[in-house]
Amino acid sequence: MAATCVTEDAKLIRFTNNHIIVTQAWRSSVVSVMVAVKKRVAIGSIEDLSRSSIKDSVNYLVKIAKSTKPNRDYISLPRGPFKYTAQKLNPDSIQGSSLVWYVRDAIESAISSGAERVAGALAFKNIETELATSSSTSGHDSLSSLEISVRAFASDEASGQASSCARLEKDFHPEQAGQAAATVAREALNPVDGKSGVYDVVLGPNVFANLLNDVMFAASAFNIDSGLSFMTSKLGKRVASSNLTLIDDGTLDDGLNSRAFDDEGVPTTRTTVVENGILRSYLHNTSTAKKFKTSSTANAGWIVPQPWNIVVEGGDLHEEEMLKELGDGIYMTNNWYTRFQDYRSGDFSSVCRDGLFRVKGGEITESLKGLRISDNLPRILQNIAAMSRSRKWVKWWEVEIPTLTPSVIVRNVRLTRSTK
Amino acid sequence: MEDIGRFAINYASSLGATYSEARIQKDTNNTTIIKNGVSQFSGFIRELGIGIRLVINGALGFASTNDLGRDSIAETVLSAASMARVAATTLKKPISLSSSQTRTDSWSVKQKKRLQSVSVEDKLELLFELDKSFRTRRGVKFPARLLSLSEMITDKIFLNSEGTCITSRVPRVALSYMITAYSPTKGTAQRFNKRGETGGWETILTWNLTESISEEAEILSSIIKRGRKPPREELDIVLGSEVVGIVCHESCGHPFEADRILGREAAAAGESFVTVDMLGKRLGSTHVTVIDDPTLPNSYGYYLYDDEGVQAAPRQLIKNGIVNTFLHDRATAADLGIESNGASRSTSYAREPIVRMSNTYMDSGDYSFQELIEPISKGIYINSFMEWNIDDRRFNQRYVGLEAYFIRKGELTHIIRNPVIEITTSGLFTSVDAVAKDISFSAATCGKGDPQQGAPVWTGGPSIRLRKVRLGGS
Repeated sequence: MAATCVTEDAKLIRFTNNHIIVTQAWRSSVVSVMVAVKKRVAIGSIEDLSRSSIKDSVNYLVKIAKSTKPNRDYISLPRGPFKYTAQKLNPDSIQGSSLVWYVRDAIESAISSGAERVAGALAFKNIETELATSSSTSGHDSLSSLEISVRAFASDEASGQASSCARLEKDFHPEQAGQAAATVAREALNPVDGKSGVYDVVLGPNVFANLLNDVMFAASAFNIDSGLSFMTSKLGKRVASSNLTLIDDGTLDDGLNSRAFDDEGVPTTRTTVVENGILRSYLHNTSTAKKFKTSSTANAGWIVPQPWNIVVEGGDLHEEEMLKELGDGIYMTNNWYTRFQDYRSGDFSSVCRDGLFRVKGGEITESLKGLRISDNLPRILQNIAAMSRSRKWVKWWEVEIPTLTPSVIVRNVRLTRSTK
Repeated sequence: MEDIGRFAINYASSLGATYSEARIQKDTNNTTIIKNGVSQFSGFIRELGIGIRLVINGALGFASTNDLGRDSIAETVLSAASMARVAATTLKKPISLSSSQTRTDSWSVKQKKRLQSVSVEDKLELLFELDKSFRTRRGVKFPARLLSLSEMITDKIFLNSEGTCITSRVPRVALSYMITAYSPTKGTAQRFNKRGETGGWETILTWNLTESISEEAEILSSIIKRGRKPPREELDIVLGSEVVGIVCHESCGHPFEADRILGREAAAAGESFVTVDMLGKRLGSTHVTVIDDPTLPNSYGYYLYDDEGVQAAPRQLIKNGIVNTFLHDRATAADLGIESNGASRSTSYAREPIVRMSNTYMDSGDYSFQELIEPISKGIYINSFMEWNIDDRRFNQRYVGLEAYFIRKGELTHIIRNPVIEITTSGLFTSVDAVAKDISFSAATCGKGDPQQGAPVWTGGPSIRLRKVRLGGS
């Protein structure tokens, strides 16, 4: 049996057309319990935290567990106690008024950098996690984060998106996000229809982070079993160009989703999923690890292993060298709505969003619109030709798992557009 | 519970709120999942809390808590008020809400067989029975199968400072599955599908699941074994109900959400190619009428009052090809000088209500399916899809067919694999030249808002015919 109690105290401000449209604050404490009776698993989560409610819920869970069928893949929780490394960063306490001023800074910065309209969301979260298991494990963890996502419009069809996210207030730069979004928006003015074709592309950090969230989804051992992965039976094999080293790291001091322990109480760690293009590991909890004859990577999820923070090792190129190295192609700053026709093969498409540029002779020549990536994710990973040295943390509406990534150059990417 | 809500509203008023509302919401969700013929887990989620929204000094604030003690609620109201007060100092224009009739009402969806009366054993038995349909067929295996059965009950008490008080109870059931078919020589094909309705356990019994899932297995194996490449030239396309439903949802429902049109969702879910001055203008052929109707009996997106206490009614978004009306909450309606048409929804006590669809579908026409395909000399029929997406202004979309057939001289001939429709919204709606009578619906979870809110909806419509479209994807 394992139980967590997660207390979340969060504030969020949404802004659009250069002013705040709503402020939000929510506070909740949720107890989640997993019970296993002879490999029969039941999981419940409750918000009425009175002792009687918790007792009734656990009794009900045991009843459900006894009624269900055995999950032959289930393995007993790892035996503790474990030693956890305390988070080095103490959470900030931030007043709602400070958040309002951060929003004002982002809006003013974007407008002074050429935006006509600015929209976005700023969130501050403080999350406390308590864990106890029947295998002598217990722990406490806390995490705070600040995130702002800014979308600036220089016209209805010329927009740019940028974000800033940090564990500590001193590392949080909303005005830089506003300026960066507006700079892209201004450059995106007067877009023309892009043409379908196969191009070499620069994927900015927003785009690559979005795709990497799907790569890590595919690396979860549960999804391997569920037919939702193009990485099935690829351990030890090449799944990407040698440029790519992809890591899940739950221990990062500046990781927005770092945790001292996973939901089974195992101390989190750094797991190299892809090393120089070779698939080294899936993400595991104790049960999936046993099934795959390996050790847990401390990514539980009681049922589905999940990544904590996605990290890509940087490449050799300075950011300003990326377009020169690309030569002739397309530069994408953002995307959304990535959907798969077949998770096993990795056939997918994703819509370009915000600044999208034609590049010739290493220079941006025009702003484009109306294109989407229509390709295959394993092929894109194999065709990574270069990476920038500098990396950026990305987390926003379309990038759920915080991702530290460089820009990348990918050769021969198929882009398509509407035919009518 | 009602007294807790009144306490919150009274306290908000005492802090200077010119409007306030409280929504006490309890969501109970029971789920059972099996994977590859093995039970994964059974379990539940029980949420209970209060969400408070208020207007103070012209600014809108929302706060929530799951601690229903009076001290906690007072603190929550204070939190909403204090943040809104600071935000008000930055406002250029105060928020206004359209007028709304004061209502006291109670409504619920009846269950003939109560969801709570069905045991975990019975649910597992159903899932295992359905899983048996995926036995090897003609050399095609089904190595990965994920089936999930959920039943949910939502209880709400809504009160506002204008005197409205609405209580409701909505039970829902949903079954979803993700299936992978595989042949060593032909590769894989995948199918995700979801069924969902409001009502009790009796609704599941009307779905003929054993038959329909067995048919899914048969179709998947046929796609793998016999599917051919799609044609390249311009041709006519018939879209089945499932595809028409997603078209209506993505290309009409979303761009007709007034909050998108007014820029409120710009940073996340996006804006809209539709503008206010397009009201009364032509967007599609005369055959196209798209409706969003929360009051459809048994529908997955059913409600009689929205989460601002406004009475629900059907909305004709496109009427005979003309832009007719948008989806509104009280704030967007006030911006346009009209009254809300009851499209404000929230999926949890902890989420603000925002403009949402309910059940969005194309109205049926006069044709039989046979009459749709009869005059086509060369075309394709797409009955289901897997991959889809659309840009954030809702103008360029893509649907990749799963079950699809070639049409030659008015008859379905062979199966084709992965035909891609990549088309603009106006290109799609103006190409419709015939609409069939065979209307049906699919269940879906619509994502929008920040934080994300997944709202239960139906998408649907009849089969429709598009003329002269070139397939995309290359």
